[in-house]
Amino acid sequence: MLPSGIIFKSYAAEEAFLVTRPQKLVFALFIVALFLFPMVGSTYLVGTVSVMMITMIAVLGLQITVGMAGQINLGQSAFVGVGAYVTAAMAVNYELPFWLAIPIGGLTAGLTSILFGLPAARIKGFYLALTTVAAQVMFPLAISRLPQSWFGGSNGMSMPSMELFGYEIWGQTGLYLVNLCFLIVFTTLAFNLQRSRVGRAFIAIRENDVVAPVMGINLVKYKILAFFIGAVFAGISGGLYAYYVTYVTAEQFTLWLSVIYLGMLLIGGMTSPLGAIFGVIIITFLQETTHEIGGYLSGRISFVDESVLFPATNILLGAVIIAVLIFEPHGMVRRWRIAKAAYRIWPNPHG
Amino acid sequence: MIELVQSLSSGVLLGLLYGIVALSFVVIYRASRVVNLAQGEVVMVGAFLAWMAASSFGLPLYLAIPAALAMSACFGVIIERFVFRPLTGQPIFAVVMASIGLIILLRGATMVIWGPATRPFPQVFPLGAIEIGPILLNTALLIGGVITIICAAGLNWFFMRTDAGLRLAAVAEDHTTALSMGISVKKSAIIAWVLGTTLATVSAIIMLSGSVLGVTAAEIGFRALPVALLGGMESVRGAVIAGVLVGMAEALASTYLDPLTNGALSQIFPFILIILVLLIRPQGLFGWKIIERI
Repeated sequence: MLPSGIIFKSYAAEEAFLVTRPQKLVFALFIVALFLFPMVGSTYLVGTVSVMMITMIAVLGLQITVGMAGQINLGQSAFVGVGAYVTAAMAVNYELPFWLAIPIGGLTAGLTSILFGLPAARIKGFYLALTTVAAQVMFPLAISRLPQSWFGGSNGMSMPSMELFGYEIWGQTGLYLVNLCFLIVFTTLAFNLQRSRVGRAFIAIRENDVVAPVMGINLVKYKILAFFIGAVFAGISGGLYAYYVTYVTAEQFTLWLSVIYLGMLLIGGMTSPLGAIFGVIIITFLQETTHEIGGYLSGRISFVDESVLFPATNILLGAVIIAVLIFEPHGMVRRWRIAKAAYRIWPNPHG
Repeated sequence: MIELVQSLSSGVLLGLLYGIVALSFVVIYRASRVVNLAQGEVVMVGAFLAWMAASSFGLPLYLAIPAALAMSACFGVIIERFVFRPLTGQPIFAVVMASIGLIILLRGATMVIWGPATRPFPQVFPLGAIEIGPILLNTALLIGGVITIICAAGLNWFFMRTDAGLRLAAVAEDHTTALSMGISVKKSAIIAWVLGTTLATVSAIIMLSGSVLGVTAAEIGFRALPVALLGGMESVRGAVIAGVLVGMAEALASTYLDPLTNGALSQIFPFILIILVLLIRPQGLFGWKIIERI
C-alpha cells in the first residue's frame, strides 16, 4: 500500500522502493544515522551490531537461494566457511589487501557451490538439500586434510588486520564502518536482484518448477545460479567474519549455524530481503535479552548458569520458529507491511 | 580376503543400524508426508528417555525398555499434535522448516532437562563379539540387525498387506484425495509419529547399548537421512537395503581408501555414492516415481 496521491507513469517508477520525497529524506537520514552510530553506541553494542551485519549478508544470500528460488540450502555456513578460509589464505599467504581478499573469498565460495548445485540437473526438490548437507559434512574434513600451507590444516589461521591506503583499520568502530559499507552494497544487490529478470526467474521456479521451464526458463541454469549467488553472499560474510574474529577455525562453521541461519530467515520472512534483515535483528535481540535476563537471574537462582542459559535460548528460538510457521507463515515482513498500511490509512479504518 | 569379508560384514551391521534410523524417517514420511529433519534429535530424546527409565527410575531392563517405548510414543503424539498438525495443508517447504525449528527446540530442551554432560547408557545387549571362523561380529549390532530386519519385515507387511497400512499409503500420496476417500489424515499422522518415534527409540537402544550417551547422539540423523533418500522416502524395504549398501560402501572406503586419504574419505564416500545414484534414479532406489501435472 502506498501513500495517497501517487500516480505511476512508467514501469520503473512503479518498481521503485522510495516513492515520495519524505521517504527518500527519512531513508537518507537513516543511512547517515547508521554511519554515526559508533559515536554514541558502547563498544559492546557496536561489536554486536557488527556481527549482526556480517550475519545479515549470509542470511541475505540464503534468502536468495531459499526464499527467492525455493531451493532448500542446509549448508550455508559451509560456504561462509569457504569464504572465511579463502579470504584468510589470500590475506596471509599472498598479503592481498582486504578489499581484494574478501571478494576473492566470495567468488570462491560461489564457485564451490556450483559443484554442489550441479546435481540440480537431475535431482529435484527436497533431494537437492542432500547435496548441501554433503557440503556441510565435507567442509571441515577438506580443510583439515588439505596441505597445511594452504589453510593451516586443523590449527586454523590467524588474520592480519585490515589496511586501507596504508592506514590500519582499527578497533570496533573501524570494523563496524567496513562491515556497514559491505552490508549496504549487498543489501542493494539483493533488493535489486528481486526485481530483475534473474530474480523473476527465481520466483517462477519457487512457485512451480514444472511450470517455469514451460515458460522458457532454463531450470538447471537458474537453480545453479541461485546457489552461486547465495554462496557469494555467504563467502563475503565469511571474509568479513574472518577479519572480525581475527582467527579462523573449521569448528566455527557447523551444520548448527546453517540451521540457525534458516531459522533467522524464517522468522523474518522468506519472500523479501527485508525478512533476512528483520530475522537477524529479532534473533540477535532474543539472544541478547535471554542473556541479560539470565545474567540477572544467575546471581539469584542457584541452578541457572551458562550451561542452562545457552540451551534455554535455543528452546525459545525453536519455539518461536514453530510458532511463526503456524501463526504467521510469511514472517515478520508481513506484520511490518500490515503495520505500515495501518499507519498510512490512520485514522480512517478503511482508507 | 579375510580383511575384505571382515570389513564387509561389519559394514553390513553398521548399515543395518543406519537402516533402522532411515526406517523411522520413511515411516513418518510414508504416512504423513513430513520429511522430519529432526529425526536425529528424536533418536537422541528416545535415548535419554530410555536412560531415564533405566537409571533415574531404577527400573529393571525388561520394564525400562517398554516404559521408554511408551514414553517415546507419547512424545511422538505430542510432536504431531503441537507442531505438525497445525501445519496440515501447508506447503511441504513449511513443514521441513518446522522440523528445522524442532531441531533447535529439542536440542535446547534436552540440554536443559538432562544437562550437557555425557553419561553411560545401560547395557541392553551383551558386550563383545561373536566369532564365526576368523570373522568377528559385534554382538549388540548383530542383535540390532536382526531386530531391524524383523521391524522392516513387519512394517512392510503392515504397509503393503493391511487395510490400515494401505490407508497410510494413500495419505502419503495426496492429502486431499485421501480425505475425499474418507481416510482420516489426522489419525494416520498420529500412527506415523507413534511408529516413527518408537522406532527411533529402538534404534537409539541398539546404537548406544553399553556405550556413552550425550547430545552428539543426534548426529546419526544426518548420517541416516541420505540412506533414507537413497532407498526412496516411500519404501520400507528400500531403507534397509540402502542402509546395507551404504554401510558396506563406508566400510570398504574406510578399509581401503582411508589409508590413502588420511581418514577423510569414509565419511564423504556415502554422500558421493548417493548423489551418483540419485543422478540416475532421482526418486531413490525403490521410491515412487511421481508424475507431475500442471
